[in-house]
Amino acid sequence: MTGTVVRATGLTKRYGSFTAVDAVDFTLEENRIYGLLGRNGAGKTTIMQLLTGQLFANAGSLEVFGREPAEHADVLRRMCFIAESQRYPEDFTPAHVFKSAPWFFENWDATFAEQLVADFRLPVKRRIKKLSRGQLSAVGVIVGLASRAPLTFFDEPYLGLDAVARHIFYDRLLEDYAEHPRTIVLSTHLIDEVANLLEHVILIDQGRILLDSDADEVRGSATTIAGPRAVVESFVADRPVIGREGLGGLASVTIDGRLEQRDRIQAAELGLELAPVSLQQLIVHLTGTDLAGSTEQEAAA
Amino acid sequence: MTAVATAPVVRTETRSRAHEIWRILRLHAVNPWIFFGIPWIILGAAWAISIIITLIIRAGSGGDVTTEDLENMRYSWAVLSPQWYLVVVGVQAIGLTFSFALGFGATRRDFWVGTSAMFVLVSVMYAVAIATLVQLEIATGGWWLGTHMFDALWYGQSWIVDFYTSFALQLLVLFIGASVTTVYMRWRIPGMLILLFSVIALLLVAIAAVTLSGSWPAVFAWFGSIGIVGVFTVILALAAVSAVVGFFVIRWATPR
Repeated sequence: MTGTVVRATGLTKRYGSFTAVDAVDFTLEENRIYGLLGRNGAGKTTIMQLLTGQLFANAGSLEVFGREPAEHADVLRRMCFIAESQRYPEDFTPAHVFKSAPWFFENWDATFAEQLVADFRLPVKRRIKKLSRGQLSAVGVIVGLASRAPLTFFDEPYLGLDAVARHIFYDRLLEDYAEHPRTIVLSTHLIDEVANLLEHVILIDQGRILLDSDADEVRGSATTIAGPRAVVESFVADRPVIGREGLGGLASVTIDGRLEQRDRIQAAELGLELAPVSLQQLIVHLTGTDLAGSTEQEAAA
Repeated sequence: MTAVATAPVVRTETRSRAHEIWRILRLHAVNPWIFFGIPWIILGAAWAISIIITLIIRAGSGGDVTTEDLENMRYSWAVLSPQWYLVVVGVQAIGLTFSFALGFGATRRDFWVGTSAMFVLVSVMYAVAIATLVQLEIATGGWWLGTHMFDALWYGQSWIVDFYTSFALQLLVLFIGASVTTVYMRWRIPGMLILLFSVIALLLVAIAAVTLSGSWPAVFAWFGSIGIVGVFTVILALAAVSAVVGFFVIRWATPR
Protein backbone atom coordinates (compact mmCIF):
# COMPACT_ATOMS: atom_id res chain seq x y z
CA MET A 1 0.00 0.00 0.00
CA THR A 2 1.45 3.29 -1.02
CA GLY A 3 0.28 6.85 -0.98
CA THR A 4 0.24 9.29 -3.82
CA VAL A 5 2.85 11.98 -3.34
CA VAL A 6 2.19 14.05 -6.45
CA ARG A 7 -0.98 14.42 -8.45
CA ALA A 8 -0.88 16.69 -11.50
CA THR A 9 -3.92 17.26 -13.68
CA GLY A 10 -3.81 19.31 -16.86
CA LEU A 11 -0.66 20.99 -15.60
CA THR A 12 0.40 23.73 -18.02
CA LYS A 13 3.23 26.25 -18.08
CA ARG A 14 3.56 28.80 -20.84
CA TYR A 15 6.28 31.36 -21.55
CA GLY A 16 4.62 33.84 -23.84
CA SER A 17 3.57 31.88 -26.91
CA PHE A 18 5.84 28.94 -26.04
CA THR A 19 4.21 26.12 -24.10
CA ALA A 20 6.89 24.44 -22.00
CA VAL A 21 4.51 22.01 -20.28
CA ASP A 22 1.30 21.23 -22.11
CA ALA A 23 -1.60 19.95 -20.00
CA VAL A 24 0.19 16.95 -18.51
CA ASP A 25 -1.46 14.47 -16.16
CA PHE A 26 0.58 12.20 -13.95
CA THR A 27 0.95 10.91 -10.43
CA LEU A 28 3.99 9.97 -8.39
CA GLU A 29 3.58 7.22 -5.82
CA GLU A 30 5.39 7.06 -2.51
CA ASN A 31 8.79 5.34 -2.28
CA ARG A 32 9.48 4.69 -5.93
CA ILE A 33 12.29 5.75 -8.26
CA TYR A 34 11.04 7.66 -11.27
CA GLY A 35 12.86 8.56 -14.42
CA LEU A 36 11.78 11.84 -15.93
CA LEU A 37 13.24 11.36 -19.36
CA GLY A 38 13.31 13.42 -22.47
CA ARG A 39 15.48 15.45 -24.78
CA ASN A 40 17.01 18.78 -23.88
CA GLY A 41 14.28 21.39 -23.65
CA ALA A 42 11.53 18.77 -23.40
CA GLY A 43 10.14 20.35 -20.24
CA LYS A 44 11.75 18.20 -17.55
CA THR A 45 13.19 21.04 -15.48
CA THR A 46 10.00 23.07 -15.82
CA ILE A 47 7.97 20.16 -14.41
CA MET A 48 10.34 19.85 -11.46
CA GLN A 49 10.22 23.59 -10.84
CA LEU A 50 6.43 23.44 -10.85
CA LEU A 51 6.44 20.51 -8.44
CA THR A 52 8.76 22.33 -6.04
CA GLY A 53 6.74 25.54 -6.13
CA GLN A 54 9.50 27.50 -7.87
CA LEU A 55 7.29 28.23 -10.86
CA PHE A 56 3.58 28.95 -10.98
CA ALA A 57 1.43 26.96 -13.41
CA ASN A 58 -0.75 28.75 -15.96
CA ALA A 59 -3.43 26.08 -15.82
CA GLY A 60 -4.26 22.75 -14.27
CA SER A 61 -4.09 21.57 -10.72
CA LEU A 62 -1.18 20.26 -8.74
CA GLU A 63 -1.08 18.55 -5.38
CA VAL A 64 2.17 17.64 -3.67
CA PHE A 65 1.72 15.89 -0.33
CA GLY A 66 -1.93 16.78 -0.66
CA ARG A 67 -1.47 20.48 -1.24
CA GLU A 68 -0.47 23.12 -3.75
CA PRO A 69 3.31 23.31 -3.18
CA ALA A 70 4.11 27.00 -3.74
CA GLU A 71 4.52 29.01 -0.53
CA HIS A 72 3.50 26.10 1.69
CA ALA A 73 6.36 25.54 4.11
CA ASP A 74 5.07 22.16 5.30
CA VAL A 75 5.12 20.81 1.72
CA LEU A 76 8.38 22.45 0.68
CA ARG A 77 10.34 21.15 3.65
CA ARG A 78 9.70 17.59 2.42
CA MET A 79 11.36 18.22 -0.91
CA CYS A 80 14.88 18.68 -2.18
CA PHE A 81 15.61 20.04 -5.63
CA ILE A 82 19.03 21.26 -6.70
CA ALA A 83 18.65 22.26 -10.32
CA GLU A 84 21.29 21.38 -12.87
CA SER A 85 21.75 25.14 -13.45
CA GLN A 86 21.28 25.97 -9.75
CA ARG A 87 22.41 29.44 -8.71
CA TYR A 88 24.36 29.79 -5.51
CA PRO A 89 24.90 32.87 -3.33
CA GLU A 90 27.88 35.07 -4.15
CA ASP A 91 31.25 33.47 -3.34
CA PHE A 92 29.60 30.30 -2.02
CA THR A 93 31.66 27.14 -1.59
CA PRO A 94 30.42 23.55 -1.25
CA ALA A 95 31.34 23.85 2.46
CA HIS A 96 28.79 26.67 2.80
CA VAL A 97 26.15 24.54 1.07
CA PHE A 98 26.68 21.58 3.40
CA LYS A 99 26.84 23.80 6.47
CA SER A 100 23.47 25.40 5.75
CA ALA A 101 21.74 22.23 4.48
CA PRO A 102 20.80 20.86 7.93
CA TRP A 103 18.86 24.08 8.70
CA PHE A 104 16.60 23.26 5.76
CA PHE A 105 16.47 19.47 5.68
CA GLU A 106 15.42 17.89 8.96
CA ASN A 107 16.69 14.43 7.92
CA TRP A 108 20.12 15.73 6.87
CA ASP A 109 22.86 13.16 7.55
CA ALA A 110 26.13 15.07 7.96
CA THR A 111 28.24 11.91 8.26
CA PHE A 112 26.79 10.58 5.01
CA ALA A 113 27.49 13.93 3.33
CA GLU A 114 31.12 13.87 4.51
CA GLN A 115 31.54 10.36 3.21
CA LEU A 116 30.10 11.39 -0.17
CA VAL A 117 32.42 14.43 -0.32
CA ALA A 118 35.35 12.04 0.12
CA ASP A 119 33.93 9.59 -2.43
CA PHE A 120 33.48 12.27 -5.06
CA ARG A 121 36.75 14.00 -4.08
CA LEU A 122 34.93 17.29 -4.01
CA PRO A 123 37.07 20.31 -3.06
CA VAL A 124 34.74 21.84 -0.47
CA LYS A 125 36.72 25.05 0.00
CA ARG A 126 36.78 25.94 -3.68
CA ARG A 127 34.31 28.56 -4.85
CA ILE A 128 31.32 27.08 -6.69
CA LYS A 129 32.05 29.33 -9.69
CA LYS A 130 35.42 27.62 -10.07
CA LEU A 131 34.12 24.04 -9.92
CA SER A 132 34.11 21.84 -13.00
CA ARG A 133 30.79 20.63 -14.42
CA GLY A 134 31.25 17.24 -12.78
CA GLN A 135 32.10 18.76 -9.38
CA LEU A 136 29.04 20.98 -9.66
CA SER A 137 26.89 17.92 -10.36
CA ALA A 138 28.48 16.24 -7.33
CA VAL A 139 27.33 19.11 -5.08
CA GLY A 140 23.73 18.56 -6.22
CA VAL A 141 24.03 14.79 -5.87
CA ILE A 142 25.43 15.04 -2.34
CA VAL A 143 22.69 17.45 -1.22
CA GLY A 144 20.06 15.22 -2.82
CA LEU A 145 21.32 12.06 -1.16
CA ALA A 146 22.21 13.41 2.30
CA SER A 147 19.02 15.47 2.65
CA ARG A 148 16.91 12.28 2.64
CA ALA A 149 13.92 14.39 1.70
CA PRO A 150 10.71 12.36 1.21
CA LEU A 151 10.58 13.70 -2.36
CA THR A 152 14.03 14.17 -3.86
CA PHE A 153 14.78 15.43 -7.37
CA PHE A 154 18.05 14.82 -9.18
CA ASP A 155 18.34 17.10 -12.19
CA GLU A 156 20.80 15.68 -14.74
CA PRO A 157 22.92 14.14 -11.95
CA TYR A 158 25.31 12.50 -14.41
CA LEU A 159 26.29 15.68 -16.20
CA GLY A 160 30.10 15.81 -16.29
CA LEU A 161 30.58 12.97 -13.79
CA ASP A 162 33.41 10.60 -14.60
CA ALA A 163 32.88 6.82 -14.74
CA VAL A 164 33.92 6.29 -11.11
CA ALA A 165 31.66 9.08 -9.85
CA ARG A 166 28.71 7.73 -11.85
CA HIS A 167 29.25 4.35 -10.28
CA ILE A 168 29.43 5.89 -6.79
CA PHE A 169 26.18 7.75 -7.34
CA TYR A 170 24.49 4.58 -8.58
CA ASP A 171 25.66 2.49 -5.62
CA ARG A 172 25.04 5.10 -2.91
CA LEU A 173 21.59 5.89 -4.23
CA LEU A 174 20.49 2.25 -4.20
CA GLU A 175 22.05 1.53 -0.79
CA ASP A 176 20.54 4.58 0.82
CA TYR A 177 17.20 4.10 -0.88
CA ALA A 178 17.01 0.54 0.51
CA GLU A 179 17.63 1.85 4.03
CA HIS A 180 15.62 5.06 3.75
CA PRO A 181 12.87 4.59 1.18
CA ARG A 182 11.63 7.79 -0.40
CA THR A 183 10.30 9.06 -3.68
CA ILE A 184 13.07 9.88 -6.09
CA VAL A 185 12.79 11.61 -9.44
CA LEU A 186 15.80 11.36 -11.74
CA SER A 187 15.66 13.74 -14.63
CA THR A 188 18.10 13.01 -17.39
CA HIS A 189 18.70 12.70 -21.09
CA LEU A 190 21.52 10.19 -20.46
CA ILE A 191 19.11 7.29 -20.32
CA ASP A 192 21.38 4.25 -20.49
CA GLU A 193 23.24 5.53 -17.42
CA VAL A 194 20.17 5.38 -15.20
CA ALA A 195 18.06 2.76 -16.96
CA ASN A 196 18.67 0.07 -14.34
CA LEU A 197 17.85 2.38 -11.43
CA LEU A 198 14.40 3.27 -12.62
CA GLU A 199 11.20 1.64 -11.47
CA HIS A 200 8.94 3.88 -13.47
CA VAL A 201 9.48 5.95 -16.57
CA ILE A 202 7.82 9.19 -17.57
CA LEU A 203 8.91 10.23 -21.03
CA ILE A 204 8.29 13.80 -22.00
CA ASP A 205 8.74 15.54 -25.32
CA GLN A 206 7.81 19.07 -26.32
CA GLY A 207 5.95 19.54 -23.06
CA ARG A 208 3.80 16.42 -23.43
CA ILE A 209 3.98 12.99 -21.85
CA LEU A 210 4.71 10.33 -24.46
CA LEU A 211 5.04 7.43 -22.09
CA ASP A 212 4.16 6.86 -18.44
CA SER A 213 4.66 3.28 -17.38
CA ASP A 214 6.61 0.74 -15.40
CA ALA A 215 10.24 0.47 -16.45
CA ASP A 216 9.98 -3.32 -16.81
CA GLU A 217 6.99 -3.02 -19.09
CA VAL A 218 8.80 -0.45 -21.18
CA ARG A 219 11.89 -2.62 -21.55
CA GLY A 220 9.95 -5.50 -23.10
CA SER A 221 7.55 -3.37 -25.06
CA ALA A 222 9.43 -3.19 -28.35
CA THR A 223 11.45 -5.48 -30.56
CA THR A 224 13.93 -4.92 -33.35
CA ILE A 225 13.79 -7.22 -36.37
CA ALA A 226 16.80 -7.35 -38.65
CA GLY A 227 17.48 -9.19 -41.89
CA PRO A 228 17.12 -8.87 -45.67
CA ARG A 229 15.02 -5.79 -46.47
CA ALA A 230 12.26 -7.51 -48.42
CA VAL A 231 11.77 -10.23 -45.80
CA VAL A 232 11.77 -7.74 -42.91
CA GLU A 233 9.29 -5.47 -44.68
CA SER A 234 6.86 -8.28 -45.35
CA PHE A 235 7.18 -9.52 -41.75
CA VAL A 236 6.38 -6.12 -40.23
CA ALA A 237 3.79 -5.17 -42.84
CA ASP A 238 0.82 -5.05 -40.45
CA ARG A 239 2.68 -4.21 -37.26
CA PRO A 240 3.15 -0.78 -35.64
CA VAL A 241 6.59 0.31 -36.81
CA ILE A 242 8.31 2.90 -34.64
CA GLY A 243 11.75 2.95 -36.21
CA ARG A 244 13.41 1.98 -39.44
CA GLU A 245 17.07 1.80 -40.41
CA GLY A 246 18.60 0.36 -43.50
CA LEU A 247 21.97 -0.35 -45.08
CA GLY A 248 22.10 -1.71 -48.62
CA GLY A 249 19.84 -4.71 -48.87
CA LEU A 250 19.55 -5.08 -45.12
CA ALA A 251 16.98 -3.48 -42.87
CA SER A 252 16.44 -3.17 -39.16
CA VAL A 253 12.94 -2.28 -38.09
CA THR A 254 11.69 -1.63 -34.58
CA ILE A 255 8.09 -2.45 -33.81
CA ASP A 256 5.99 -1.47 -30.84
CA GLY A 257 4.71 -4.39 -28.81
CA ARG A 258 5.76 -7.89 -27.89
CA LEU A 259 6.00 -10.74 -30.36
CA GLU A 260 3.95 -13.88 -29.75
CA GLN A 261 5.65 -17.27 -29.68
CA ARG A 262 4.42 -18.16 -33.17
CA ASP A 263 5.72 -14.83 -34.51
CA ARG A 264 9.13 -15.64 -33.09
CA ILE A 265 9.11 -19.08 -34.71
CA GLN A 266 8.04 -17.56 -38.01
CA ALA A 267 10.80 -14.96 -37.80
CA ALA A 268 13.38 -17.63 -37.08
CA GLU A 269 12.16 -19.65 -40.08
CA LEU A 270 12.52 -16.56 -42.27
CA GLY A 271 16.09 -16.11 -41.03
CA LEU A 272 15.34 -12.82 -39.23
CA GLU A 273 17.18 -11.71 -36.12
CA LEU A 274 15.22 -10.48 -33.12
CA ALA A 275 16.74 -8.20 -30.52
CA PRO A 276 15.32 -6.51 -27.43
CA VAL A 277 15.24 -2.75 -27.46
CA SER A 278 17.02 -0.88 -24.68
CA LEU A 279 15.23 1.91 -22.87
CA GLN A 280 17.48 4.42 -24.60
CA GLN A 281 16.83 2.99 -28.07
CA LEU A 282 13.12 2.95 -27.43
CA ILE A 283 13.15 6.55 -26.31
CA VAL A 284 15.20 7.61 -29.30
CA HIS A 285 12.56 5.91 -31.44
CA LEU A 286 9.74 7.60 -29.58
CA THR A 287 11.20 11.09 -29.58
CA GLY A 288 13.29 10.98 -32.75
CA THR A 289 12.51 13.52 -35.45
CA ASP A 290 11.70 10.88 -38.07
CA LEU A 291 8.70 9.96 -35.96
CA ALA A 292 7.46 13.45 -35.27
CA GLY A 293 4.30 12.59 -37.19
CA SER A 294 3.42 9.60 -35.07
CA THR A 295 3.75 11.43 -31.76
CA GLU A 296 0.05 11.89 -31.31
CA GLN A 297 -0.57 8.21 -31.79
CA GLU A 298 2.13 7.29 -29.28
CA ALA A 299 0.81 9.71 -26.73
CA ALA A 300 -2.55 8.03 -26.92
CA ALA A 301 -1.01 4.59 -26.42
CA MET B 1 3.28 4.22 4.61
CA THR B 2 -0.15 5.66 4.39
CA ALA B 3 -3.10 3.60 3.38
CA VAL B 4 -5.11 6.52 2.11
CA ALA B 5 -4.17 8.02 -1.23
CA THR B 6 -3.09 11.66 -1.05
CA ALA B 7 -3.25 11.73 2.71
CA PRO B 8 -2.77 15.39 3.51
CA VAL B 9 0.29 16.11 5.58
CA VAL B 10 -0.14 17.20 9.15
CA ARG B 11 0.08 20.94 8.96
CA THR B 12 2.85 21.91 11.27
CA GLU B 13 3.44 25.40 9.94
CA THR B 14 2.55 28.28 12.19
CA ARG B 15 2.03 31.91 11.38
CA SER B 16 5.28 33.10 12.92
CA ARG B 17 7.66 30.30 11.87
CA ALA B 18 10.64 31.70 13.80
CA HIS B 19 12.84 28.75 12.82
CA GLU B 20 12.14 29.20 9.10
CA ILE B 21 12.98 32.90 9.29
CA TRP B 22 16.05 32.52 11.51
CA ARG B 23 17.60 30.03 9.08
CA ILE B 24 17.39 32.65 6.31
CA LEU B 25 19.46 35.02 8.47
CA ARG B 26 21.96 32.23 9.04
CA LEU B 27 22.03 31.51 5.31
CA HIS B 28 22.93 35.15 4.61
CA ALA B 29 25.64 35.00 7.28
CA VAL B 30 27.09 31.55 6.47
CA ASN B 31 29.67 33.35 4.37
CA PRO B 32 30.40 36.25 6.76
CA TRP B 33 32.55 38.11 4.25
CA ILE B 34 29.52 39.31 2.30
CA PHE B 35 27.72 41.30 4.99
CA PHE B 36 30.51 41.79 7.53
CA GLY B 37 33.99 41.26 6.13
CA ILE B 38 34.12 43.21 2.88
CA PRO B 39 32.27 46.37 4.10
CA TRP B 40 34.78 46.69 6.94
CA ILE B 41 37.70 46.20 4.58
CA ILE B 42 36.31 48.99 2.38
CA LEU B 43 35.77 51.25 5.38
CA GLY B 44 39.23 50.42 6.74
CA ALA B 45 40.84 51.17 3.39
CA ALA B 46 38.94 54.47 3.15
CA TRP B 47 40.15 55.34 6.64
CA ALA B 48 43.76 54.54 5.73
CA ILE B 49 43.48 56.67 2.58
CA SER B 50 42.02 59.56 4.61
CA ILE B 51 44.92 59.35 7.06
CA ILE B 52 47.47 59.24 4.24
CA ILE B 53 45.84 62.25 2.55
CA THR B 54 46.04 64.15 5.84
CA LEU B 55 49.73 63.29 6.14
CA ILE B 56 50.37 64.38 2.53
CA ILE B 57 48.58 67.69 3.13
CA ARG B 58 50.55 68.24 6.32
CA ALA B 59 53.87 67.32 4.70
CA GLY B 60 53.18 69.30 1.51
CA SER B 61 52.28 72.50 3.35
CA GLY B 62 55.54 72.48 5.26
CA GLY B 63 53.82 72.01 8.58
CA ASP B 64 51.87 75.29 8.65
CA VAL B 65 48.50 73.65 7.91
CA THR B 66 45.96 74.28 10.64
CA THR B 67 43.24 72.02 11.92
CA GLU B 68 40.83 74.59 10.51
CA ASP B 69 42.27 74.06 7.01
CA LEU B 70 41.57 70.33 7.36
CA GLU B 71 37.93 71.20 8.04
CA ASN B 72 37.50 70.97 4.26
CA MET B 73 37.84 67.19 4.63
CA ARG B 74 34.30 67.32 5.97
CA TYR B 75 33.24 67.18 2.31
CA SER B 76 34.90 63.78 1.91
CA TRP B 77 32.44 60.96 1.17
CA ALA B 78 34.83 58.36 2.56
CA VAL B 79 32.44 57.50 5.41
CA LEU B 80 29.85 56.42 2.81
CA SER B 81 32.25 54.24 0.81
CA PRO B 82 30.79 50.85 1.87
CA GLN B 83 27.29 51.95 0.74
CA TRP B 84 28.01 51.32 -2.95
CA TYR B 85 29.12 47.81 -2.19
CA LEU B 86 26.07 47.21 0.02
CA VAL B 87 23.69 48.11 -2.83
CA VAL B 88 25.27 45.17 -4.68
CA VAL B 89 24.84 43.00 -1.58
CA GLY B 90 21.12 43.86 -1.60
CA VAL B 91 20.92 42.92 -5.29
CA GLN B 92 22.75 39.62 -4.82
CA ALA B 93 20.68 38.68 -1.77
CA ILE B 94 17.71 38.41 -4.13
CA GLY B 95 19.37 37.61 -7.46
CA LEU B 96 21.41 34.70 -6.13
CA THR B 97 20.56 33.73 -2.55
CA PHE B 98 16.80 33.77 -3.26
CA SER B 99 17.13 31.17 -6.05
CA PHE B 100 19.25 29.03 -3.78
CA ALA B 101 16.88 29.30 -0.80
CA LEU B 102 13.95 28.19 -2.99
CA GLY B 103 15.94 25.08 -3.95
CA PHE B 104 16.37 24.42 -0.23
CA GLY B 105 12.61 24.63 0.29
CA ALA B 106 12.21 28.11 1.77
CA THR B 107 9.01 30.00 1.05
CA ARG B 108 9.16 33.40 -0.61
CA ARG B 109 7.47 34.96 2.40
CA ASP B 110 9.93 33.51 4.90
CA PHE B 111 12.83 34.45 2.66
CA TRP B 112 11.78 38.09 2.43
CA VAL B 113 11.01 38.39 6.14
CA GLY B 114 14.33 36.75 7.04
CA THR B 115 16.24 38.91 4.57
CA SER B 116 14.55 42.05 5.92
CA ALA B 117 15.50 41.04 9.46
CA MET B 118 19.07 40.58 8.27
CA PHE B 119 19.04 44.05 6.72
CA VAL B 120 17.74 45.62 9.93
CA LEU B 121 20.35 43.78 11.99
CA VAL B 122 23.18 44.81 9.68
CA SER B 123 21.95 48.42 9.59
CA VAL B 124 21.78 48.64 13.40
CA MET B 125 25.28 47.22 13.62
CA TYR B 126 26.74 49.72 11.15
CA ALA B 127 24.85 52.62 12.67
CA VAL B 128 26.23 51.82 16.12
CA ALA B 129 29.75 51.45 14.71
CA ILE B 130 29.68 54.63 12.60
CA ALA B 131 28.10 56.77 15.32
CA THR B 132 30.69 55.49 17.80
CA LEU B 133 33.58 56.06 15.37
CA VAL B 134 32.37 59.66 14.85
CA GLN B 135 32.60 60.25 18.60
CA LEU B 136 36.00 58.56 18.70
CA GLU B 137 37.28 60.76 15.87
CA ILE B 138 36.06 63.88 17.64
CA ALA B 139 37.55 62.75 20.96
CA THR B 140 40.97 62.04 19.41
CA GLY B 141 40.99 65.30 17.44
CA GLY B 142 40.80 63.43 14.14
CA TRP B 143 43.07 60.53 15.11
CA TRP B 144 45.60 63.09 16.45
CA LEU B 145 46.04 64.50 12.93
CA GLY B 146 42.90 66.59 12.40
CA THR B 147 41.54 64.05 9.88
CA HIS B 148 37.85 64.17 9.07
CA MET B 149 36.55 60.89 7.84
CA PHE B 150 33.66 59.93 10.12
CA ASP B 151 33.05 63.42 11.49
CA ALA B 152 32.15 64.56 7.97
CA LEU B 153 29.14 65.60 5.90
CA TRP B 154 26.15 65.79 8.28
CA TYR B 155 27.78 63.62 10.97
CA GLY B 156 29.02 64.85 14.31
CA GLN B 157 25.88 66.39 15.85
CA SER B 158 25.29 63.75 18.47
CA TRP B 159 25.63 59.99 18.83
CA ILE B 160 21.91 59.42 18.58
CA VAL B 161 21.44 61.60 15.46
CA ASP B 162 24.43 59.94 13.81
CA PHE B 163 23.02 56.54 14.70
CA TYR B 164 19.57 57.37 13.37
CA THR B 165 20.78 58.84 10.07
CA SER B 166 23.26 55.99 9.46
CA PHE B 167 20.59 53.42 10.19
CA ALA B 168 18.05 55.01 7.84
CA LEU B 169 20.54 55.39 4.99
CA GLN B 170 21.90 51.87 5.40
CA LEU B 171 18.43 50.37 5.38
CA LEU B 172 17.44 52.32 2.25
CA VAL B 173 20.60 51.24 0.41
CA LEU B 174 19.97 47.54 1.15
CA PHE B 175 16.22 47.59 0.49
CA ILE B 176 16.48 49.58 -2.75
CA GLY B 177 18.96 47.04 -4.13
CA ALA B 178 16.82 44.12 -2.97
CA SER B 179 13.38 45.41 -3.95
CA VAL B 180 14.44 46.52 -7.43
CA THR B 181 15.87 43.02 -7.90
CA THR B 182 12.53 41.46 -6.88
CA VAL B 183 11.02 43.33 -9.83
CA TYR B 184 13.60 41.70 -12.07
CA MET B 185 12.97 38.26 -10.56
CA ARG B 186 9.27 38.58 -11.21
CA TRP B 187 9.05 40.39 -14.56
CA ARG B 188 12.62 40.15 -15.86
CA ILE B 189 13.86 42.81 -18.32
CA PRO B 190 10.42 44.15 -19.38
CA GLY B 191 9.64 44.78 -15.70
CA MET B 192 12.93 46.58 -15.16
CA LEU B 193 12.38 48.84 -18.18
CA ILE B 194 8.85 49.72 -17.09
CA LEU B 195 10.13 50.44 -13.56
CA LEU B 196 12.96 52.62 -14.89
CA PHE B 197 10.73 54.64 -17.22
CA SER B 198 8.02 54.98 -14.56
CA VAL B 199 10.52 56.38 -12.07
CA ILE B 200 11.91 58.81 -14.67
CA ALA B 201 8.40 59.87 -15.70
CA LEU B 202 7.39 60.36 -12.06
CA LEU B 203 10.47 62.49 -11.37
CA LEU B 204 9.85 64.61 -14.49
CA VAL B 205 6.22 65.16 -13.51
CA ALA B 206 7.26 66.14 -9.99
CA ILE B 207 9.94 68.53 -11.27
CA ALA B 208 7.51 70.03 -13.81
CA ALA B 209 4.79 70.47 -11.19
CA VAL B 210 7.12 72.18 -8.73
CA THR B 211 8.77 74.35 -11.39
CA LEU B 212 5.54 75.44 -13.09
CA SER B 213 3.89 76.33 -9.80
CA GLY B 214 7.07 78.16 -8.79
CA SER B 215 7.24 76.35 -5.50
CA TRP B 216 10.96 75.44 -5.40
CA PRO B 217 11.58 77.92 -2.55
CA ALA B 218 8.74 76.31 -0.62
CA VAL B 219 10.23 72.83 -1.21
CA PHE B 220 13.67 73.95 -0.01
CA ALA B 221 12.08 75.71 2.93
CA TRP B 222 10.26 72.52 3.84
CA PHE B 223 13.45 70.43 3.72
CA GLY B 224 15.15 73.15 5.78
CA SER B 225 12.39 73.09 8.34
CA ILE B 226 12.43 69.31 8.82
CA GLY B 227 16.22 69.37 9.31
CA ILE B 228 18.70 66.52 9.09
CA VAL B 229 16.58 64.23 11.24
CA GLY B 230 13.50 65.02 9.16
CA VAL B 231 15.28 64.31 5.87
CA PHE B 232 16.48 60.97 7.17
CA THR B 233 13.00 60.16 8.40
CA VAL B 234 11.91 60.56 4.76
CA ILE B 235 14.75 58.19 3.80
CA LEU B 236 13.64 55.70 6.44
CA ALA B 237 10.08 55.91 5.10
CA LEU B 238 11.37 55.20 1.57
CA ALA B 239 13.21 52.15 2.93
CA ALA B 240 10.01 50.95 4.59
CA VAL B 241 8.05 51.42 1.34
CA SER B 242 10.71 49.43 -0.55
CA ALA B 243 10.48 46.67 2.04
CA VAL B 244 6.69 46.43 1.75
CA VAL B 245 6.67 46.61 -2.06
CA GLY B 246 9.44 43.98 -2.21
CA PHE B 247 7.36 41.65 -0.06
CA PHE B 248 4.42 41.74 -2.45
CA VAL B 249 6.57 41.52 -5.58
CA ILE B 250 8.65 38.55 -4.39
CA ARG B 251 5.56 36.49 -3.52
CA TRP B 252 5.21 35.65 -7.23
CA ALA B 253 8.87 35.88 -8.24
CA THR B 254 10.55 32.90 -9.90
CA PRO B 255 14.21 31.89 -9.71
CA ARG B 256 16.50 32.18 -12.67
